[in-house]
Amino acid sequence: MDESELIKGIQQGDNKAFRLLVETYQRMVVNTCFGIVHNTADAEDLAQDVFLEIFRTAENFRGDSKISTWLYRIATNRSLNFVRNNKRKRFFQSIEETFTGGRNRNSEISENRNDQPDQNITDQQRSDLLHRAIDRLPEKQRTAFTLNKYEELPYQQIAEVMEISLASVESLIHRAKKNLQEQLYECYKKKCV
Amino acid sequence: MQVFNLNSVKPLNNDDMECKTLHKDLIFYLDNEVSNQKRIEIEEHLAKCVDCRSFLSFLKEGMQIIEKEKNPEVSPFFYTRLSARLEEKPEYQVQSQWARLAQPAFFSIILLLGIYGGSRLGSNASFPKVNQPATSSIQMLNDFEAEPIESFLLGEL
Repeated sequence: MDESELIKGIQQGDNKAFRLLVETYQRMVVNTCFGIVHNTADAEDLAQDVFLEIFRTAENFRGDSKISTWLYRIATNRSLNFVRNNKRKRFFQSIEETFTGGRNRNSEISENRNDQPDQNITDQQRSDLLHRAIDRLPEKQRTAFTLNKYEELPYQQIAEVMEISLASVESLIHRAKKNLQEQLYECYKKKCV
Repeated sequence: MQVFNLNSVKPLNNDDMECKTLHKDLIFYLDNEVSNQKRIEIEEHLAKCVDCRSFLSFLKEGMQIIEKEKNPEVSPFFYTRLSARLEEKPEYQVQSQWARLAQPAFFSIILLLGIYGGSRLGSNASFPKVNQPATSSIQMLNDFEAEPIESFLLGEL
């Protein structure tokens, strides 16, 4: 079944076509969401939302781009929204903790990590450091970098997903890498890992 | 990519300027995105600079995290959960469509009733206020006409 037949099937409410679409692209969508939210459970929930949106809005798909491009676009938008909402929640939580004298969640996490073996602490710390550095990137740089590094997409396809020029993608990824390196260097100097 | 043996190279005093310049390109060096000339420059510098080598290995380990964590295993129940959510859809859609229509209608009715009630109350309250001073002043004038003080006093006398 080619892409147009698959989309036609979904537009007609064919569950078999939808299942085929999900099974073909679920890994790709989960991985894209994971690159932005850095949590498997959240990435799976977001991927489900992406497929639900595809099922409900299949009639709007004009077929002038590939299904994967459409999926990447929805996945990145939903993941960025999720991160934005989480930031807002954390902001209000921190205000609440300031007034209620609640314990900081980060300190609890670092306390829990004391039980883990040394190697895992370093791996986990490295992973946290990289995630924090990626999260600090501006949204467009983060999207382009994630699609390039996690999904290994060529610049041309990233340009199609983000609906920007090829030169803009090159510039975004270049700046993203520079920013990441600066942040990692700061951490290296302070010996934070 | 050239491999450096940390033990075989003597630590030298770093040229700060060179370090600063080359630090900026190390991430591109790791991704093989530098020109041949730049690559040679970087490798020559790395051969004599312990700090830059150490940072390069820190950077490499950091970026390797992406390779380790990407493509997480997807739950085998992914489609089962998704199809369960799809089955919830019609009820949810009917509810949301009903809510989408009913809520604005309800609030519009309340708003219109509020405006109507307010205007009714306002109209009842404003008429006596406007008319009363006029009528009372007319009444007073009429009273003076009907019973002037002077004549009343004169009558008393």
